[in-house]
Amino acid sequence: MKSVRYLVTGAAFAAIAAGWSGAAFAQETVTVWFTKGFYKGEDDALLAVVDKFQKATGVKVDLSLYATEDCVTKSVGAIEAGTPPDVGFCTTYDFRTTGKWAFEGKLEDVTDVIEPMKAEFQPQALATTFLMNSKVGKKSYYAFPVEQQMMHITYWKDMLEEAGFKESDIPKGWNGYWDFWCDKVQGSLRAKGKRIYGVGHPMGIAASDTFYSFLTFANAYGAQVVDENGKIVLDQPKNKAAMIEAVKSYANIFQRGCTPPSSVNWLDPDNNVAFHNRTTVLTHNATISIAAKHLDDMNNPALTAEQRAQAKKNYEDNIRTAEFPLKPDGGVMPNLAAVKTAVIFADAKNKKRAKEFMAFMLKDENLRPFVEGSVGRWFPTTIEGAKSPFWTDGKDPHRAIVHKQYTDGTVPFQFVYNYNFTTVNAENVWAKAVNRVVQDKIAPDVAVDEMIARIKQIAG
Amino acid sequence: MAAPVAVPSDAVSGHTRDRALWGTIMLAPYVLVFAVMVVYPVAYGLWLGLNWNSYRALFADPIFIRTVINTILFLFIAVNLKFLIALWLSGFFVAQRAWVRIVLVIFILPWAVPSIPTILSFRVMLNPENGMINQQLFHLFGIVEGPGWLTDPTLAFASSIMVHIWKSLPFWTLILITGRFAIAQDLYEAASVDGANKWQQFKFITWPSLATLYVTSTMLSMIWTLGDFNSVYLLTGGGPGDLNHVLSTLGIRYMRNNNLDLGIASIIVAMPLILPMVYFMVKRLSKGAE
Repeated sequence: MKSVRYLVTGAAFAAIAAGWSGAAFAQETVTVWFTKGFYKGEDDALLAVVDKFQKATGVKVDLSLYATEDCVTKSVGAIEAGTPPDVGFCTTYDFRTTGKWAFEGKLEDVTDVIEPMKAEFQPQALATTFLMNSKVGKKSYYAFPVEQQMMHITYWKDMLEEAGFKESDIPKGWNGYWDFWCDKVQGSLRAKGKRIYGVGHPMGIAASDTFYSFLTFANAYGAQVVDENGKIVLDQPKNKAAMIEAVKSYANIFQRGCTPPSSVNWLDPDNNVAFHNRTTVLTHNATISIAAKHLDDMNNPALTAEQRAQAKKNYEDNIRTAEFPLKPDGGVMPNLAAVKTAVIFADAKNKKRAKEFMAFMLKDENLRPFVEGSVGRWFPTTIEGAKSPFWTDGKDPHRAIVHKQYTDGTVPFQFVYNYNFTTVNAENVWAKAVNRVVQDKIAPDVAVDEMIARIKQIAG
Repeated sequence: MAAPVAVPSDAVSGHTRDRALWGTIMLAPYVLVFAVMVVYPVAYGLWLGLNWNSYRALFADPIFIRTVINTILFLFIAVNLKFLIALWLSGFFVAQRAWVRIVLVIFILPWAVPSIPTILSFRVMLNPENGMINQQLFHLFGIVEGPGWLTDPTLAFASSIMVHIWKSLPFWTLILITGRFAIAQDLYEAASVDGANKWQQFKFITWPSLATLYVTSTMLSMIWTLGDFNSVYLLTGGGPGDLNHVLSTLGIRYMRNNNLDLGIASIIVAMPLILPMVYFMVKRLSKGAE
């Protein structure tokens, strides 16, 4: 009996000791969710930051990488369930959730992280993270500006030449520009018996490309939708008239048969696919991912030497990245930038370490390799990052144009001023108005009246 | 004759109690499964759908009314066309010839193969630029812009109905074939002797014998057609321009836009259409059982 008592006592001590040692060795963890990169370089750079942070702090980073669509879906589900990660960075947060979460008080105020490094960011990029929290009743920094994107024109130079034109023939003015691609280039290729379209023009309701492209057209015509306080001003006569012109202009490219008919059903990758298949000579696209695909291919050991050589020729000679033409009034186009935001959730378990991680990540030596790992798909939000040789040494024809567009200045999306515009964009009232004109054959001013009424319902 | 043995009354009640107890024990798993798998999900869905603001927002969305009209049109055209064709084809397939049986096997294939790849292959085939049909029109006749099978709202709607019919027609044709097989051949022989032509045979023998099956199948098909997500979503995504949504695809559109409340509301508003059909279905089946 005595031996049994010793055994039990010994076991109890052993269990307590094991518990203590377990507690002593339990490592502090910060949970981080990121969108998986398109390119290996992005993910490698992120893993390097994580590794450095772990070594510097002894804190374990529990990193999960998700596909673009899954990333937001999982984040929304985790918030609903009350189990968000500490840090979230999904490349569509800005379009879909950041402003709404900030407004609803679901995000941690990160002013204490941003304030000391405020001078390092491009002011326009930083401004998009200064968001309204309805619970506190004031604006504050609720997100980190990690990287950004904007619209670019991409065209096949060799197809343009096949049509009998030189790059110097491309008009600079708005109407002349679209007429050139639709009538002259497409017309010339059609005359040669080719079933090719001048422009790949996203029209699909479910594509973010469509609202990005359309809002670029709206900016070209100077159609202001909201003011800086988030108040809808689109119904003011000047803005409404400009929006009618934007709808007309956007619809016109479809109406004149200048874009593939299937573009009314395009999803985000489809204009890229049509371009790569040489179905279209030109397309407008957010980021230079179309050209970057060929840069990636030319260094891809899984491809044959001929395929790599062709990709190199495409990237360096055949494909051109360009700015949009001048506005219809002759002015320079304002570049609509989408700033990709990382956040710390209000319900996060380890907000202190989450802030440390983001402060670490945003240091130039860490952020720059991450952004540049995307081979030009994302542009830096920091002033130093934008000055790096990667963008400025002039060796890369595509990145040089991107850099010029950003230095010309950017404007933000409306959802920065009124978070309900994430819903307006998700519903794509813009594409709906264009489709009402081209499919239901209603007048552009009626379509814009419907658009304004719907915007007021959602965001008024 | 042996005298009846008197059974004590408490023994009878004990036996009844045992039967009742065993009955309850045997029934319990069914009740439990029903509660977990049917009652709870339905009740939870209804509870989630109790947000009246969602219905206000749903009815305020201009696309909703269009979707309801599309749904009714889709139901009316697809179900009626499908059953008229199925009725006609079932008459062809009851012929007991070897080559007809081979054709029947081929005819059944669309129903037997999985939905997603087949409907997506239609999507590729009907693509206005690269699809097989318009490519042939271009190569054979020089037609540069062939019909917008998926890009013109009317044609896209018709294409969705066509794919829906193509996919489900074999099943309903089979059902009507079995119905035709159940009709006694003597009736046709007698009618033939009396000089009845084919139309009269159909009118006075086939149709009266098939009518119950036809109507019941039509109602069942209406319920399934109302829930057919694949034909519309995989083919056109409800497009072009959100113009061709039906109620079964509208919910997913809201869910994709992170609007769960409206997604649920759009499903619940289909109940007034579904419940009467289910009620009449059950009523008809009960009548059949009697």
